[in-house]
Amino acid sequence: MRVLSTAPHIKTRRTTKHIMLDVLIALLPATAAGIVYFGWQAAVIIAVALAAAVLTEFVWYLIEHKFWRDTKTVVGAWAKQFDYTSLVTGLLLALTLPANIDGWYMPLLGSVFAVGIVKMLFGGTGKNIVNPAIAGRIFLFISFAAMTVYPAANFGPLLPDNLSVWQTHPLIKPTWTPQNALETGATQLGNLFNTKPLLSNLDLFLGTGVAGCIGETCKLALLAGYVYLCVRGVIKWYLPLLYIGVTGLFAVALEGFKFVYFLPSVLSGGLILGACFMATDYVTSPKSTLGNIVYFVALGLLTAGLRKAAGLEVVSFCILLMNFLVFLIDLAIKPRPFGYVRQKKEAKK
Amino acid sequence: MIIRPKAFFRGVRLAGHKFPAGAAERLPALPEVFIPLAQHAGAPALPVVEAGQSVRRGERIAAAQGAVSADVHASIAGTVTGIVTRPDGRGNTAQFIAIAAGETQEDAFLPPLSDPSKEEILQRIAACGIVGMGGAGFPSHVKLAPPVPVDTLILNGAECEPYLTCDDALMQKKTREVLRGARYMMQALGVEKLLIAIERNKPEAIAAFDAAGYDVVPLKKQYPMGAEKQLIYCCTGRKVPLGKLPAHAGVIVQNVATAFAVYEAVELGKPLIERIVTVTGGGIAQPKNLVCPVGAPLSALAAACGGEHDAVKLVAGGPMTGAALTGTDAVVTKTTGGFLFLTARETDTEDPTPCINCGKCADVCPMKLMPMQTAFYTNAKEYENAAKYSGVLACIECGACSYICPARRPLAQSIKTAKAELRRKP
Repeated sequence: MRVLSTAPHIKTRRTTKHIMLDVLIALLPATAAGIVYFGWQAAVIIAVALAAAVLTEFVWYLIEHKFWRDTKTVVGAWAKQFDYTSLVTGLLLALTLPANIDGWYMPLLGSVFAVGIVKMLFGGTGKNIVNPAIAGRIFLFISFAAMTVYPAANFGPLLPDNLSVWQTHPLIKPTWTPQNALETGATQLGNLFNTKPLLSNLDLFLGTGVAGCIGETCKLALLAGYVYLCVRGVIKWYLPLLYIGVTGLFAVALEGFKFVYFLPSVLSGGLILGACFMATDYVTSPKSTLGNIVYFVALGLLTAGLRKAAGLEVVSFCILLMNFLVFLIDLAIKPRPFGYVRQKKEAKK
Repeated sequence: MIIRPKAFFRGVRLAGHKFPAGAAERLPALPEVFIPLAQHAGAPALPVVEAGQSVRRGERIAAAQGAVSADVHASIAGTVTGIVTRPDGRGNTAQFIAIAAGETQEDAFLPPLSDPSKEEILQRIAACGIVGMGGAGFPSHVKLAPPVPVDTLILNGAECEPYLTCDDALMQKKTREVLRGARYMMQALGVEKLLIAIERNKPEAIAAFDAAGYDVVPLKKQYPMGAEKQLIYCCTGRKVPLGKLPAHAGVIVQNVATAFAVYEAVELGKPLIERIVTVTGGGIAQPKNLVCPVGAPLSALAAACGGEHDAVKLVAGGPMTGAALTGTDAVVTKTTGGFLFLTARETDTEDPTPCINCGKCADVCPMKLMPMQTAFYTNAKEYENAAKYSGVLACIECGACSYICPARRPLAQSIKTAKAELRRKP
């Protein structure tokens, strides 16, 4: 008996699994940096989030496929179709949580919400409307006050005078950390530049002494992941740069074209993590290249604008918001085939 | 002269799997051939012979029917055993003229033409039943009489499909003959400019044509470089307007094998009764290029190549656009470039997984379409929306989208479904 199918009869060996594995590999530097900077708590959060994400998917699959009839077959089928997407979701969620959240139940709840409600309830891989990790993070953010306080990295800023500045700064309340002072928009940024930068751009880049979520502080590690993703052809290199660049430039424009604001806006908060790993999520971004450009520019404008207006770190909210608009972008942009000739409009009578 | 091609960034890069194309061997004499009546685009030919009648090699056995059709000729001398309905190897049945080989092989070719006029060439091409041998099988005498004036003839030797080497073998060994055929086609078209387009993975063929003093365009090895519209763009920088013929861009593209057939028809009077067929794949003992009479059954070709082993899939044509076969009762037609015996390792038998919307299908589409949208709307049976949001009607069915899909979704299949449904509607 011969195998019959329509052409083509050969296919690339690169499957969804490989792509997801590449994303996981690209996140490794940021994960390692997070564990080094924030200690064992970070490792626990990451482990719990990963385990909960995979378990949620597993349990969902078992129930969906009526495991009580034939458990062995269903478990085997699950292992065969497992494509690492829930691992990516779990890891991304953990990387967007602060390391000092009290209790292991928070990453667990976040993962269950992200995978169970946001992904599986909508139909599983490829069917979710919003990015599960972002939705999970925002779910935790609006549920727990602990999510709004970020610890600083174990290593102090590289430049010692900065340290003394932010410890003794009159404008900074005790609960404030330099990172959220930096990232929370206009007033803080204004304070910053009226006195003296609290953290040097180099510290922001390396994440030393920066307070923030586990995975977002070390920009160097994130950029290493970004380069890996580009080299492996997982993401288009210009899209994250578009988001980051537009955010920086619009922030500069909002501050009256003071270009000194560019690097702090770009390097603070979750912008780089969001731009490289969250906004580029295939499922929740537009299908066409032009649509993607529109989406990423809109994200940049929204992020800079909302940062200024709300005085909060808003990258995850912006991505969530834009996720809901993706279907409109997809409907608005129609392909122009090779050899397309613009139809001449009939002359008006 | 070597002409630099225009860059073309879409498409996919495929592993070649091409064995070195040497001289093509002749298939051993066959006891019987089954010549299909429909081996070209357009209406099937009408048989003009009866069972029991003896025919010589090259005699016309079926006549073209209608404006777009082609004559069919006997590929061996012998006795017509009947006009039979038999499996075509693609899961269907079709009409064939069966000829049993006679004791002696006598040829009945047309008289050779010397210094023919334009009309004589076109008549000869029609009389010899020549069709486009790249795969589509469009009758050449129709294609060489375009509705609008053209200025360039492109000889398509790109052979961008993996595995196949039949055109490469022809270009290396029959360079002069191919060029003479091209000259006759230029004369029939009334054009002065000839471009020979060859992918860079065939350096011998490029060198052979360059040495003959003709304009060669060495193309980047990228699938689907040999597709008509993409080829025209790379060679001349012209874009064929959507829904128009290549002639509207002033270009006619012909396969190198067609050029060789034209040479044989004009100078030898030999109709299109033979062609080079690549028999290859991991499931065949000795991959070969064989000169086969039209109507030769695949089983005879497989035997000439040492037999098959572990082949799970048979394909007529290239792996990207060819048709899967149900068995070795398929026969060689005028458009058959090759037969592939693919092993389970080479071909893809995995189940599709959900679409993750990665957009790779749109990135590789040489027509800049959105295959994922076609699949989405076709699954919902909304074919109008498929046309609106994916531009499916412009698809050239190259299969690059299905190839690249990491979720292994049968995108090309959805596209073919959508196109068929859209054409069926009034």
